[in-house]
Order: sequence, then C-alpha cells, then structure tokens
Amino acid sequence: MSLKNGPTLTARGPDLASISNRTPLEDARMQLNPSTPTRKPKPPKPENAITIGVSARVLFNMEKEQQIYQQQGLEDYIKYQVEHETQPFNPGPAFSFVKALEAVNTRLRELYPDSEELFDVVLMTNNHAYVGLRLINTINHHQLFIERFCMTGGNSPIGYLKAYHTNLYLSADPAKVREALEEGIAAATMFTQEKMTQVSDTQLRVAFDGDAVLFSDESERIYKAHGLDKFFEHEKAHENKPLDHGPLKGFLEALGKLQKKFYGKGQRMDCPIRTYLVTARSAASSGTRALKTLRSWGLEIDEALFLAGAPKGPMLEKIRPHIFFDDQMFHVEGAAEIGTVACHVPYGIAQGVTKKGINDKETSAAPK
Amino acid sequence: MSEIKLTKSAPTEDNGEEKDWAAAKAFFDNLKTNKPRPPKPRYAVTIAVSSRTLFNMVKERKIYQDEGLEKYVAYQMEHENEPLMPGAAFPFVQALMNVNSRLRELYPDSEELFDIVLMTNNHAQVGVRLINSINHYDLSIERFCMTGGESPIGYLKAYMTNLYLSKDSDKVTEAIAEGIAAATMFTADTENELSKTQLRVAFDGDAVLFSDESEIIVKQHGLDTFFEHEKEFENKPLAQGPLKCFLEALGKLQRKFIAKNERLNCPIRTFLVTARSAASSGARVLKTLRSWGLEIDEALFLAGAPKGPLLEKIKPHIFFDDQMFHIEGAQELGTISAHVPYGIGQKYHKGKLIEQPPKKE
Repeated sequence: MSLKNGPTLTARGPDLASISNRTPLEDARMQLNPSTPTRKPKPPKPENAITIGVSARVLFNMEKEQQIYQQQGLEDYIKYQVEHETQPFNPGPAFSFVKALEAVNTRLRELYPDSEELFDVVLMTNNHAYVGLRLINTINHHQLFIERFCMTGGNSPIGYLKAYHTNLYLSADPAKVREALEEGIAAATMFTQEKMTQVSDTQLRVAFDGDAVLFSDESERIYKAHGLDKFFEHEKAHENKPLDHGPLKGFLEALGKLQKKFYGKGQRMDCPIRTYLVTARSAASSGTRALKTLRSWGLEIDEALFLAGAPKGPMLEKIRPHIFFDDQMFHVEGAAEIGTVACHVPYGIAQGVTKKGINDKETSAAPK
Repeated sequence: MSEIKLTKSAPTEDNGEEKDWAAAKAFFDNLKTNKPRPPKPRYAVTIAVSSRTLFNMVKERKIYQDEGLEKYVAYQMEHENEPLMPGAAFPFVQALMNVNSRLRELYPDSEELFDIVLMTNNHAQVGVRLINSINHYDLSIERFCMTGGESPIGYLKAYMTNLYLSKDSDKVTEAIAEGIAAATMFTADTENELSKTQLRVAFDGDAVLFSDESEIIVKQHGLDTFFEHEKEFENKPLAQGPLKCFLEALGKLQRKFIAKNERLNCPIRTFLVTARSAASSGARVLKTLRSWGLEIDEALFLAGAPKGPLLEKIKPHIFFDDQMFHIEGAQELGTISAHVPYGIGQKYHKGKLIEQPPKKE
C-alpha cells in the first residue's frame, strides 16, 4: 500500500507545532512533508493523568435517540443510530467542559512538553458497539480529542472507572453516579439544559458548593436537625477542627496540582484554570471553618463566595463556570434556569432517601 | 463408564458416517446413561485442549524433562488415582459446559453445542489418570486423541476444530499456519474469581481478530502514518485474523440465545480490548466487524493505556493477544491469557525489534 501525502484529511485537533515528542526520524519526515496533517499527541498514561470519565449522553445531546430507545426498544434504537451515522450529534451539557479541558491541555503541553500530567477524557458508555461509529464521527466532527472508549454494552462501567484511575465521572444516570460515589470516585449527574450560556474558550472555570460537595455533610446535618443558630454555634466552637472531606475534594486537589504547574512558570495571572467556592454559608458566622479546612488540606481556591442564603443563580451567571457541582437539586435547578451547566452530587443528608431503608448501602462514610 | 469409545477418525463418505453414527447412537441409547451425547463435529463448536492446559502438570513435566519418559510414565501410573489439579484452561472448559447446559435447555435436539476434545501428546498409559481426573471434576470430555508423540494437526482438521489451546508454541504456530484458530496458554500469577454462569472471552483487535496489516504500518512507519492510513481506508474492511472464526462461532451460539429472548441473560459475552484509539482508528474496526455481520458485546478502545487493569475488571475466562508484552501485563493482574503467535508482532518486544531470531526449545 502506498502512503499518500495528506489526502482529504482536515487538520485535526489544536495546532501542535510546538510539541516535540517525536524521534529524530519522524522530525525529519515532518520537514520533508510539510503538507501532512498536524500530528495528534499521544494520550497520557492513566496513572499520571487526570482522568475524566464522561458518558455519551452528557457529552452529546441524545434526547431524541433516548426517547426512541425508551419507547421502541433496543433494536429500533440501534437501527436509528446506524441510519444517522454520519449525522453528528449536537453538543450536550458536558461539551464545553471537555473543550475547556483540551484548552488547558494545550497550554500544559506548551509549558511542559514531556509531562503526562494532563487531562484525559474517556468515553464511558452503556451503548452498543454499533453506536460507536456515530460517536466517533461526532467526536471527529467537533474536533474533540477522546481516544479512550469503554462501550460496555449494558454492563455497569464502575469497574472500568477504577481501572482507569478516574478522577471524575459525569453521567446522566443517577444510579451509576451513586454507585461511583460509593466506590470513592468523584461523580455527578448532569442534566440536559435548554439554555446554556456562552462560556470562556480559554479558561476552565469550575464552581463547587461547600458542604456535602467539597466538605462532608456533617455540618449540613446539624443545620437540618437543629437549625441555623445551633449550626453557627457549632461552627464557631469547632472553627479549628477541619471538616471531613466530601466526594469532590479529590477533584479540586487534582485541579490544584495542575494550577501549581502554571504558577511554577510564572503564569498565576494567566492561569487557564480557575476554581470557585459558591456556598450558602455565612462568612462571619461559619465561613472561617471552611477556609481553615481548605488551608489545612493545602488546597487553594481562587474565588470564595459566601452567600448567606442568597440564591446562587445570579452569582453563577456572572462567574460563567463550565461546570457547577452542588448536592441539592434546588440549587442545581436554579442554576440551570439561567443557563449555567450544573450537576448534582447525590451525597449526604440533603438527598433524603439515602438514610432511610431504600438504600441499604452505607452512604454516610466519606468516600476515599 | 463404557470401555468403548466412539471412533476418532471422521469417515469421508457421508453414507458410511451416517451408518456409523446410527449404530453408535443405538448403542448409546441402550446404555441408558444420563450423560448427554457429544454432538457431531460438523455442527458443534469444537475446542481442542491439551492435557497441560486443562490440568496443572508442572511437576510431572519436570520429572519428564529431568528423568526421562520411563520414569514419567511410571510416576503417572503410580499416582493414577490422584486427580490432577486444574490448569489454565480449566475455568474456560467449565464455562463452556455451562453454556452447553443452557443451550440444551432451550434447544434439546440441537447439535450446535460446544464440544471439547482432549488433544495430547501423552503416552496412552497416562490416559487413565487423565480420565480419572476428568471424572473427578465431572467434566464432559468424551473425545480423546492421545497422539503418543505425533503432531496433532491432522486430527485437529479432522475434528473441524474451531479453537486449539496448547502450552506448546510450536504446535500452536503450526495450527495457525494450517488455518486453525490456536493460542498458547499461560497461567495467571494470581487467581481472579471468574463467573460461573457466563462465559467471557476477550480478544485483542489487530493480528488476532483482524490481520496484522495495520500493525505492520505502526511498527514500520509510526503511529501518525497509521492514523492517516486508517482514516483513509475507513470503509475498506480489514482482512481477517486467526481468531475471527472463533468469534463467529461464539456469535452463532449467542444468536440462539437472543432468538429466545435471552439477550440480557446470555451466558456468552465477548469483549474487544484494543490498544487502538477510538477517534483516530476505531471507526475502521467497528465497520469491519459490522461488514462481517459479527457483534461484539463490549468494545474498549485503550489508546495505548495498559490492558491489565481493565482485564482485571472484565475477568474473562480467556484473553487472546498477539503480543507477549500484553500477555505478561494481563498475567500480573490475574487474567488467564493466551498468546496468538501470528503476524509482525512476534518480531517485536515492547515496541523494539528483536535482534536475534527466537531460540527454538
């Protein structure tokens, strides 16, 4: 077979002219054939990378197909997908998040060409292998860089999440998300939103709720059981005792690790990752404990917003995060109404059903 | 247990075969045994295993190598009543038998079942210990070929063998050259707990299910040329590899379950575990499988990540790969793996060309 010079291929992915992961021979070849398409970088090893597992339904908008599956069954669903194979899907809620991750990767590769500490996005889907083609076509159409797939054909993907050292799992299925949380993997349920506001192309912005997301739900329990005043007293009394960690602490840690790589090269002002704490706590009455806890963990957060009960929606509209994690559906829905991509972390006492009989598994233990 | 075994060689003439078969059937029916009758080779999915893969004969092998044939045979005869310990292919064979019982429930008269043949170089005297071991574990292996030193390849073809598993890589290479799906088995370092109700088979992609044409490009021209090539030829199906027919046979049996509405409860599950990247080179793979009319239950595109951790989660009864590097990685984490000595991957180890030719034992 002859190797033609870059035929009908369009340039794939970001321009990677500055990477030098190639052998001298390949470098030489590149100079001889300047018209060949830009090279795709190699995906990093799972143990070094920050692995984000996304499901097909959060990456792309598959509402119509999901309806066909629910109403007409598996065979019709597969047939529909195969027929529309060359038609790319529209972006879903996690799409802009994944694009932002890739932007960060590009910046990281510029500064540290040989490092494997990058974001790695894995597509973890229940879908049948035949649907894979449409997914691959869509990924290439939108120029995403997702090379790792797990098409589990109906099985639970939780085992594979662990094998990939997944740092964050996003799915549309709350049952899977709960399972992942129980196994100690940071996870959140994403919902399709009608409105998705424009977000930054160059800076990844991640917003976290405090209690039961970054921190454990111990304080939330006191508030729900004994009321606000008791809560304030308790927090003041235990100001210097760090809170227990919550399901998403590990992910914040991972973001912090990458942020430090930028600071190390003098790019603090221009850092393409920015983290926000958006909490209903009151600063003077209960904020100290939260900040001291973060400090004790050695974690930094770029912006901290103490709302003292005010609605989170308007704040989030100004922040424009690519993703916002909260444990209470009330806040998630409020954020979604104004177009922020919000996802639900089904952890802790705010879920209601987790403590009573329905779920036999133990959920109160802080994961990891 | 009857002392008469069915004839091992398949007669060429149909009439003769039918007569033989009818006579054997009559004999069997008269025996009133409750063990089910083995199926005809041409309808069955025949799996040939060697005695060393079915049972753990490491100790005995050592005696053979250190002290010679006579001592070996004497040892075996002394320990005739001691059943052998299970070997690498043992869980696989048990899973096959489980699928057979499910198939018999749904299709009591069908001959489309798994048929296991013991294909061994061993001396006939050792046969007694093998038979005792097989009965001890209640396996239904009724067909034996004890070739006493001769090559088993001719018998494999006569049995229309769909898969041959052995510890001897020379025999396996010979079988593949003759067009029979074959693999060299390795035991795992640790033991994962495997499913007792579902047969799980994991395949590598290139040079196992597919030919090694793409692998050649990677090794000789690098990954980027490979991606370009795969994109360009996306719609041209890959040529088939040595284990394609076995996947086909598994698919045939799977469809029997699906036809009876047992898709979710199917006791056979197939996995593709490939180092390919999904977006860059995955499309061609999926389209090739589709063009062959084959389905695979789970497809995992690893883009170069190590296969070991994922296989540990899958827990297959057997994992086929052409590169020893991946076999070793899988073994370390407890997966039973089988090496398919086919294609250009044999000349490389961990991506580097092996300088001297491999030493023959």
